[in-house]
Amino acid sequence: MVIDTLKCVGCSDCVVACQTENNVPIGYCRDWITESVSGSYPNVELELKSERCNHCDNAPCVRCCPTGASHIVDGGIVLVTANECIGCGACIESCPYDARYQHPDGYVDKCTFCHHRLEKGQLPACVSVCPTKCMYFGDLDNPNSEVSQLLKNRKYKTLAPEAGTDPHVFYLI
Amino acid sequence: MQEELFTSGRNIPHIDPSLEIWHWPISLYLFLGGLAAGILFFSALFYVLGKDKEFPAAVKITSVIPPIALTLGLLALVYDLTHPLYTWQLYMTFRIESPMSWGAWVLLLITPLSYLWTFSFYREVYPKLEAKLQVFNKFKFLHTVEKFVITNRKNIAYLFIPLSIILGVYTGILLSAFNARPLWNNAILGPLFLTSGLSTGAAAIILFSKSVKERHMFSKIDLGLIIIELALIIHMIMGYYAGSQVSLEAMDLLVGGEFTLMFFGFVVLLGLLIPALLEVIELIGYKVPVIVPAIMVIIGGLIFRFVMVEAGQLTRYLY
Repeated sequence: MVIDTLKCVGCSDCVVACQTENNVPIGYCRDWITESVSGSYPNVELELKSERCNHCDNAPCVRCCPTGASHIVDGGIVLVTANECIGCGACIESCPYDARYQHPDGYVDKCTFCHHRLEKGQLPACVSVCPTKCMYFGDLDNPNSEVSQLLKNRKYKTLAPEAGTDPHVFYLI
Repeated sequence: MQEELFTSGRNIPHIDPSLEIWHWPISLYLFLGGLAAGILFFSALFYVLGKDKEFPAAVKITSVIPPIALTLGLLALVYDLTHPLYTWQLYMTFRIESPMSWGAWVLLLITPLSYLWTFSFYREVYPKLEAKLQVFNKFKFLHTVEKFVITNRKNIAYLFIPLSIILGVYTGILLSAFNARPLWNNAILGPLFLTSGLSTGAAAIILFSKSVKERHMFSKIDLGLIIIELALIIHMIMGYYAGSQVSLEAMDLLVGGEFTLMFFGFVVLLGLLIPALLEVIELIGYKVPVIVPAIMVIIGGLIFRFVMVEAGQLTRYLY
């Protein structure tokens, strides 16, 4: 997933779309918006971005899961199998992005990149509703895909690369 | 200056503003697991060395603690799970990269073995209790079990030595495997928790020991372990101090922050330095009630687990 921070206006539409699509319990969210301000007046810079599970290549949550409930499926998406999860919380402790939470039903829940929609050939809910079209979703292994082209032509960053997780959500800056 | 905030009003229970995923049962379990590992290690070691007559408290009497501690610890662990009906999933797989998986399997082995180990000393240590309960008369098969366990004591002891070390180290590795929590993410935590577990184990043996010779032996062992533990704590703090920004922030919690009194006051001073001093005074020949340093070491070990678990969840990466 690629997110253009220069186009994001922080409207939280992606957050609401995700909560609706995935029946996220009230008070919880799988994605969220952050606003970071750097510098001091008059040289102030504002960055808005939509954050979620980074579906890391070197995912600490998958590494520390004692039952194998957290796993990586083909294509690199990190998923949790609810009826294998014992709710120990190790994955929540291990996530540098705090992207996971304990569902009121007990198991651990998180962003799935709307895996059920991808299987039908649709885009993740957050991407499909973004009013400024600042989010892009596609195959990073395909050099001709829109996301690969964007990463080839634009300056980008990932979140907390020093945590060594090899995240797969890229922010264009 | 950089300021970051959630504009979508993220306020997930137990996640924001800082993690509260692991509560007191985890700290209690880490303590009980370490204590059980310490006692089982000394019990097995002195049995293998053939010193069970010389050190009866270490080998036989305190062997009643590990099964109780492990059972309570396991109950505490299951109590802190949020999806506990699926606990059996732990035993459907073995995940070599997950410390918790290692711990689950080691506990599955060591808990029943610790019951058998205690059982093998039951009639020897508690003849009065047996005279009252008459369990062996009521259940004849216990004679066969006892005979089997007693003939295999040495084999169980040989198993206990590696298993108790894995158990002791695992209580630390469980935390240090999380690079997202900079306070935990240092390699010294495994040996540190092992040493602390062995030290609390030695202290428990001192509490239950009736012979001066045994108490002095374990005072010396405990003293050595306390010195190692202090050295490891210094190394841990040096590691934070020489580390990246997130490590420095983690160190600030322990040094000059929210947990300074708990860590330096209760763990280092009251849990390590003063008991070490009292043990030295006693070894020199002055009369000190041995119960005092032993209890201080045990309580210090317990507080140490609480500090590490709670402070660790406050630390994170900022981006």
